[in-house]
Amino acid sequence: MGTVEYIQHHLTNNTLALNAEAQEAIDKGQMTFWALNLDTIAISFLIGALIVFVAARLGKQLETGKPGGFQNFVESILDFVSTNVRDAFPGHNALIAPLALTIFLWVWLMNFMDLIPVDLLPMLFQVITGNEHAHLKVVPTTDLNTTLAMSFTVFALILFYNVKIKGVWGFTKMFLFHPFGKFLIPVNIVMTLIEEVSKPLSLALRLFGNMFAGELVFLLIALIGGTLAVGAAALFWAPLQVLLDLGWLIFHLLVITLQAFIFMVLTIVYLGMAHEDDAEMGH
Amino acid sequence: MNNDYEHKKVVKNTTQEVPSPAANFLLISAGSIFTSMLIAGFIVGYMLDHIFDTTPIFFLSCAVLGFIGGIQKVHALTKRLDHIPSKNEQETKND
Repeated sequence: MGTVEYIQHHLTNNTLALNAEAQEAIDKGQMTFWALNLDTIAISFLIGALIVFVAARLGKQLETGKPGGFQNFVESILDFVSTNVRDAFPGHNALIAPLALTIFLWVWLMNFMDLIPVDLLPMLFQVITGNEHAHLKVVPTTDLNTTLAMSFTVFALILFYNVKIKGVWGFTKMFLFHPFGKFLIPVNIVMTLIEEVSKPLSLALRLFGNMFAGELVFLLIALIGGTLAVGAAALFWAPLQVLLDLGWLIFHLLVITLQAFIFMVLTIVYLGMAHEDDAEMGH
Repeated sequence: MNNDYEHKKVVKNTTQEVPSPAANFLLISAGSIFTSMLIAGFIVGYMLDHIFDTTPIFFLSCAVLGFIGGIQKVHALTKRLDHIPSKNEQETKND
């Protein structure tokens, strides 16, 4: 397998076509609507289930006197999220803190899949299925479908609270008179429409772009040992790969945390703006 | 009428002097906000063209609007930096 095929193989989803037309498009290597990325769905679902399982288990064993190490750790995450919600969210809404916590944990864990050696899970999957060409893309956030699905969910909540808090007329007023006043209504409508559409776009593209680029760098580093380490040359290339991998891993640990944090904070900020009457926050 | 408008503007600016700290996180993503505005402009323009069958008028004009809006937003975001008092300033104010 050449270097290009290696990278393409790792960046291709395990896709299930829902009709013959979709199957045809997948065979040609194109993206199509009527297809499910099974690996993305399965891995993100398993990570979500893990969060629910651990939370339910911990919930039964909560101690008030001397909490254990893990409870302390989880409490510190809860405290971190609730501080951010208090800072960023102007009103009171019981949905926001649990939503922010879910987003933070889920996105962080999905991003964390990037730190598992790039060949480990795909190889295991190929051994289990007995198909040496089977695709498995292990990081759900390197799939644009995941990040867009999350950002569209947040966007739906933004629209819902905009209408609920500001009222239908208040929301319409935002489209009519913002940002250039009452004399440029047609421009205002288009401008506000662009502004609103850019919110989920920037949320999704930022996370996807960072994670995709990170995954690509891991693949390139993996290629150092994979293609160049032949015979005695391995003595030079293999340690270099380990060193580079370690460096990028440490740096990427910061990136995945920062991306999960930004996704969470921006969700809170956008929902906060939706809760404000006549929001004028410069964004 | 004009004076009335000016007055409102001043009042608005003074209320913006102390922004909520969390909104400053938007500053981290000023770059991607600008890019998204441009892309969103293209998308909205494409959709409007599709509806009114006017390709490429809305496609191009909305891209220009997205570009202008993006610059406006990044400008508004970076302007916030001037409004955030540093720790030293806050301490001297308290003294």
